[in-house]
Amino acid sequence: MKKKLNLAPVFFVGPHVILFAVFILLPTIYGIYASFTKWNLMNDPVWVGLDNYKTILFDNSSTFHTQFNNGLKNTLIFVLLSVPLLIVIPLLVAVALEHKKVKGKSLIQSIIYIPGLISISAGALIWLLLFNKQLGMAGNVFGSDVSWPANQPYAWIIIIIITVWGGVGGNMIIYRASISGVAQDLYESAEIDGAGPVRRFTSITLPSIRFPLIYTFVMTTAGAFNVFGQPLMMTDGGPRQSTHVLMMYIRQLAFGNGESIAGMASAMAVLLGLIILVISALQYYVMNRNAA
Amino acid sequence: MDNSPLLNGQNAGKRKGSGISISKYLSYLFLIILCIIWIVPVIFGITTSFRSQTEVVSSGFRMFPKEWIFDNYIAILENTSTAPILRWLMNSLLIATMHTLLVVVVISITGYGYSRMKFKGRDTLFFTLLGISFFPGVVNLIPSYKIIDALGWVNTSWAMVIPGLAGMGNIFLVRQFMNGIPKELDESAHVDGASHYRIYMSIIVPLIKPVLIVCALFSFTGSWNDFLWPVIVFTDVDKMPVTAGLLLLQDIYGNYRMIGQLMGSAILAIIPTLLLFVFAQKYFVQSINLNSGIKG
Repeated sequence: MKKKLNLAPVFFVGPHVILFAVFILLPTIYGIYASFTKWNLMNDPVWVGLDNYKTILFDNSSTFHTQFNNGLKNTLIFVLLSVPLLIVIPLLVAVALEHKKVKGKSLIQSIIYIPGLISISAGALIWLLLFNKQLGMAGNVFGSDVSWPANQPYAWIIIIIITVWGGVGGNMIIYRASISGVAQDLYESAEIDGAGPVRRFTSITLPSIRFPLIYTFVMTTAGAFNVFGQPLMMTDGGPRQSTHVLMMYIRQLAFGNGESIAGMASAMAVLLGLIILVISALQYYVMNRNAA
Repeated sequence: MDNSPLLNGQNAGKRKGSGISISKYLSYLFLIILCIIWIVPVIFGITTSFRSQTEVVSSGFRMFPKEWIFDNYIAILENTSTAPILRWLMNSLLIATMHTLLVVVVISITGYGYSRMKFKGRDTLFFTLLGISFFPGVVNLIPSYKIIDALGWVNTSWAMVIPGLAGMGNIFLVRQFMNGIPKELDESAHVDGASHYRIYMSIIVPLIKPVLIVCALFSFTGSWNDFLWPVIVFTDVDKMPVTAGLLLLQDIYGNYRMIGQLMGSAILAIIPTLLLFVFAQKYFVQSINLNSGIKG
């Protein structure tokens, strides 16, 4: 009897520990190890020390260096363009929806939420049609004469549009839930003191939803660094590699046509991972301290 | 006609009243514009899937077709060689369903272990795994493929069904939720001689249904919509899920020559998650309430 009880936790927690070890822990460690090797995914990795990192970061004559710089630059552009919109627009929607007199809230909320349930590939096909030069809305209704995916800044614009379209709903739900949790008497007493809507927003709403704000900011930013599907589907990295993001290079090097360069790709992945870690930690630290 | 209370109300709050109406109209304007932008692409995609190719090319932009035709859908379903969309949909359905069922089993059992059982190092183990899982996933992407390859799972549904079970996020939610259930419930059952399995099945699982439903819904839609991973692990056209299939369609229906079929395929691919949303809307929307960590 006693022995049986001691073993019980193994049956409950054990299977997941194994899954975790095999599909998260082991590949993470191996990914870091592989970044110090020359590896083609087939044969055993050959240890090369810091060579991959030196090439990526400092070797001006290497294509890997150019690819990494270009990929990182484009990823950063994506992050800087998309994250503020993915924080501000959902916040505005949530505040507008909190308005007592606005009717049809749940319908509006559903309409804004639904694109989040549409896969990137399906959404991209639909949006590409809208921006198609001959067939779509951009050309026929607004008289635009450019091929959007093939010209800048239009290529970035359509990538950002589909991202915002798909991403606003999730954050909106978080903000709505937390704003509705703010005590109503705070607003009432502020109103009696003559505080206008803007003042009530900055002095009551924002501070009250501080933690959800930090949370969405950190998560949205980390997610944006992993951007892959939108540029792949919308522009295929073009025009002239100007929307080719880091994840696309990593996939291309490791799994593209021709011999896999998985070691180099792993080093890029580790660098991207480190950037995400550092930026997340920084965001959390700065926002939490400023708000406290 | 006695409308004095109304009049009184208006007089008493005149300034306040006008302030509210301006902000009300601004709110409306903003929300309506946004809704139009949000819904028009979907409607246009749907209506285009019912247009003939000649109409799409010749008649300029129209929101609704002159003549509604089903030819595109017939053509999609008949094309089983280059773009077997029906097969892709079945693959996705199988993958997402299996993944979801297993998620529910794994997170409820594991959550029970971390929340309701006492064993040495329990919380240390839990928080260690949680901490490790915060490490950015991009680092384990390439070796994960290698593991899938070693298991013989490349081009199989297992590649999509199993690795996602290792995540900590849902287990964290379930554990949180379970911690809110009074310990006396299962302790007294324990004293009565009930086994952990019994307590898990007949006491805890019924009580954590709401969190399990939410996790199931998000697992299903997440699995259905996953893109990067299937693009990496599937090279066999017949085996892939529909998200990866749509990437191929871009080439197959190159440069939007078969626009109606392209749109029809995209619409078919989004129907299952939309249906799920229609039937389980409240769980999607209230999901956040379960996460007391975010509510703050």
